[in-house]
Amino acid sequence: MKDIIWLIRKIIRVTFRKKGNILLYFGGPLIGILIAFLAYGGSDQQTLKVGIINQDSAQIAGDTVHFLEHLENVEVVKINESTLKDQIATGKLDCAIILGQKFSESIENGIPDHIQLVSIKGAEVTSFVKSYLYQYLDNITALKRAANGDPEVYQKMYDRFQQANFKLQVETLQDTSKGKNMTIMTIGFLLMIMLISAGNFAEIIMKEKENRTYFRLISTPINVRKYVLANIAVSMMVMVVQVLLTLLMAMKVFHIEMNVSFWQMAVLLTLFALVSAGLSLMVVSFASSSRAAGALHILITIPSCLLAGCFWPFDLMPKVVQRIAQFMPQHWVLETINQLQLGYSFGSLYLNLMILLAFAAVFFLFSVYKFGRNNDVRNFA
Amino acid sequence: MKVLEVKNLTKKFDGFIAVDNISLSINEGEIFGLLGPNGAGKSTTINLIAGLLRSSEGEIKILGKNNMKHSRYTKMNIGIVPQDLAIYEDLTAFENVKFFAGLYGLRGTELTDRVQEALEFVGLLDMQRAYPKNFSGGMKRRLNIACAIAHRPKLIIMDEPTVGIDPHSRNYILQSIHKLNEMGCTIIYTSHYMEEVEEICTRISIMDHGKVIAEGTKEQLIAIITNTKDIWIEVKSVEQIDIEKIKEINGVKTVSLDKNVIKINSEIGINNLNNILLYLMNQKVEIGSLEEREPNLETVFLTLTGRNLRD
Ligand SMILES: Nc1ncnc2c1ncn2[C@@H]1O[C@H](COP(=O)(O)OP(=O)(O)OP(=O)(O)O)[C@@H](O)[C@H]1O
Ligand SMILES: [Mg+2]
Repeated sequence: MKDIIWLIRKIIRVTFRKKGNILLYFGGPLIGILIAFLAYGGSDQQTLKVGIINQDSAQIAGDTVHFLEHLENVEVVKINESTLKDQIATGKLDCAIILGQKFSESIENGIPDHIQLVSIKGAEVTSFVKSYLYQYLDNITALKRAANGDPEVYQKMYDRFQQANFKLQVETLQDTSKGKNMTIMTIGFLLMIMLISAGNFAEIIMKEKENRTYFRLISTPINVRKYVLANIAVSMMVMVVQVLLTLLMAMKVFHIEMNVSFWQMAVLLTLFALVSAGLSLMVVSFASSSRAAGALHILITIPSCLLAGCFWPFDLMPKVVQRIAQFMPQHWVLETINQLQLGYSFGSLYLNLMILLAFAAVFFLFSVYKFGRNNDVRNFA
Repeated sequence: MKVLEVKNLTKKFDGFIAVDNISLSINEGEIFGLLGPNGAGKSTTINLIAGLLRSSEGEIKILGKNNMKHSRYTKMNIGIVPQDLAIYEDLTAFENVKFFAGLYGLRGTELTDRVQEALEFVGLLDMQRAYPKNFSGGMKRRLNIACAIAHRPKLIIMDEPTVGIDPHSRNYILQSIHKLNEMGCTIIYTSHYMEEVEEICTRISIMDHGKVIAEGTKEQLIAIITNTKDIWIEVKSVEQIDIEKIKEINGVKTVSLDKNVIKINSEIGINNLNNILLYLMNQKVEIGSLEEREPNLETVFLTLTGRNLRD
C-alpha cells in the first residue's frame, strides 16, 4: 500500500506540474455547462424589462399599465419615444408597449386598437407579455359588451373586475424540458471529458514503456499490478473530482434544474468513471504505441458519445441510432438520469446500474488478460 | 559466496532462441563482463536475471535464492542500469533518483541522504535541481546509473552504460564502476566494446547467437589463441583483394576486412609475411602501413566465430 501511495503521489505531481493539465481536467468539464447555457438560454427565473409609452390619459390605459406592473417577472419602465429604439436595440429593454392616444376609447368601443408592441427578441420573449396583455384587454372588451352600452353598469363592473384582478395569482409554469436538455448537455459533455481524461492517464503506462521508465519500474520490487492500480487510482480520483465539481457548479452556481439529487448523480457518474478507466486500460492493452492508443481512444470516445446522445435529446435521434446507443455505456448513464427525472427511485433502476458495472467488469477483465500475456520489455516505439 | 548462479538458461521468443542454454556463476566482488555483438542475447540474459522476463527453461539464483520465487528479495538486491535511458524528463535529477529509491522502501532523511550520495557518486550533485531534458548524453547516462544505485544493491547490472557518450563521461563511468566494486558491489557489465571489457572486467563471458562460446579471465581467453598473432595491413584500396586467396596462404587462420585494414590472424611458428606481401604486390595493392599486434579479445572473438565483434 505504501508503494502504491508513492506511485500515486508521483503521477499526481508530474501531471499537475503542467498548468495546462489543471485547466484541461478541471476546466474542461465546465465547458459543458457553458454550452448548455448558450444552447438553451439562462434559467427560467428571468425578469422581463418592458418599456411603456402611455400617450393616453384615460383610465383604462392607466389601469393597463398598472396591470403590467403587477405581473410577476415583469419590470415596467416608463420611457419616452426618443429613447425607445435605442434602449430596445442595446438590449436594455426586452420589449416596449406603446399605448396610443385613442387606446382607451378603442377598448370602450369594443375593438382594441392603438396598441403597439416593439421587440427585437422575437416571440419567446414577447409571447409571455402578449398573452397576458391580450387576455386582460379581452376581458375588458367583454365587460363593455356585457354592459350593453350602459356606462354606469360598465363602470361598476369595471371597478369590480379591477379589484378582482389584483388578487389574481400569476403563476409561471415550470418548463422542465429546458432543464432536461441542459442536464443532458452538461452531463453528456462531462462524460466525454471523463473518457478523455481516463484515456490520458492510461496512456501514461504506454508512454512509460516507450521511454523505458516502465522497464526500470518493474525491475524494482514494484509489480505490474501495483503500478497499474496506482495509475487507475489517480485516474479515478481526477474523474471523481470532475464529477463533484461539475455537479456543484451546475446545481449550486448555475442552478440548472436537474431534478435529480446531488448524491444520486454523483454515485451514477462515479460508476461511469469506473467504466472509463476500464475502457482506457483495455485500449492501452491492445494498442502497440501511445500514439496508437491515443488515436484509438479518440476514435472510440467521440463517435460513441455522439451515438449515445451525449449532446442532444435521445428522442431526437433516428430509431436506428437509438438502438445502437444501447451498446454505449454513456447511454445508460443518460437513460438512468432521464428515469430519475421522471421520478423513478434509484433502487428501482438497479438494472441500469448493473449494466454499467458489467461494462466496467468486461473492460477490466480484457485488460488483465492482455497485460498478463505481455512478454515484451523491448522498445515499444 | 555466489552472487549469481545461472543454470541452463534458455529463452525463446515465438520459437526464436535468443538465449541458448547458458550457465554462469559469479562470485561476490567480481566485475563480470558479458561481451558479444549486437543481437547476441546479452540484454535478454540481463532481463531474465532481473526477473523482467520469464525464462523458457533453466534456473536463476541470486544470493542463493530463486529470482522468480523470491522476486521481492532478489529485486531488492539488484540495481539495473538499462541499455536504453530510463529516466523521467519531467522530473528533476533529484526527484528521479528519489522516486526510484522510494520504490525500494526508503523514506525520510535516509532516502534524501542516499539520493544525494548516489548523485554525488555520478558527479551530478550540483545539477540535482535541473531537469534531464537539458542534460548532455553523458549526464543522462550518469543519472541513469544513479537511479540504479541509491538503494545500495549488492549486484549491479550495467547494460552497455557507455553507449554514445563523450570520453569524459565514459572515463567517469568506468572509474565509478571500479569505485562501486571497491565498496563491495558485484558488477555485471555488458558491452560490445572489447577495450572497455578488457580494461575493467575480472572475468569475461563471450556470447554469440545466444550461446556462451568462451569464458575466463582476459588472460585465459587470450591463451586460447596464443599460438597465433595478428597482422594488420593498412592498404589504399581494397577492390583487388580476394580474402579467400589470402586464407590459402600457409599459416593464415582468419582474414577480415575492417574498412581499408586487412586483419590477418596467423600461426606464430610460420613466417608467411613474405607470401602475404607478395600477394598484395601482385594485385598492385598500395600498402600504407603494416603492424604486428598482440592478440586481444577482438582476436579471440574473431578466432572463435570468424566474425568481427562490430561490423
Ligand atoms: N521480446 C522479443 N521478442 C522477439 N525477439 C526478441 C525479443 N527481445 C529480443 N529479441 C531478439 O533476441 C535477440 C537477442 O537480443 P538482445 O537484445 O538480447 O541482444 P543484445 O546482445 O543485447 O544486443 P545489443 O548489443 O544490440 O544490445 C535479438 O535477435 C532480438 O531481436
Ligand atoms: Mg543489448
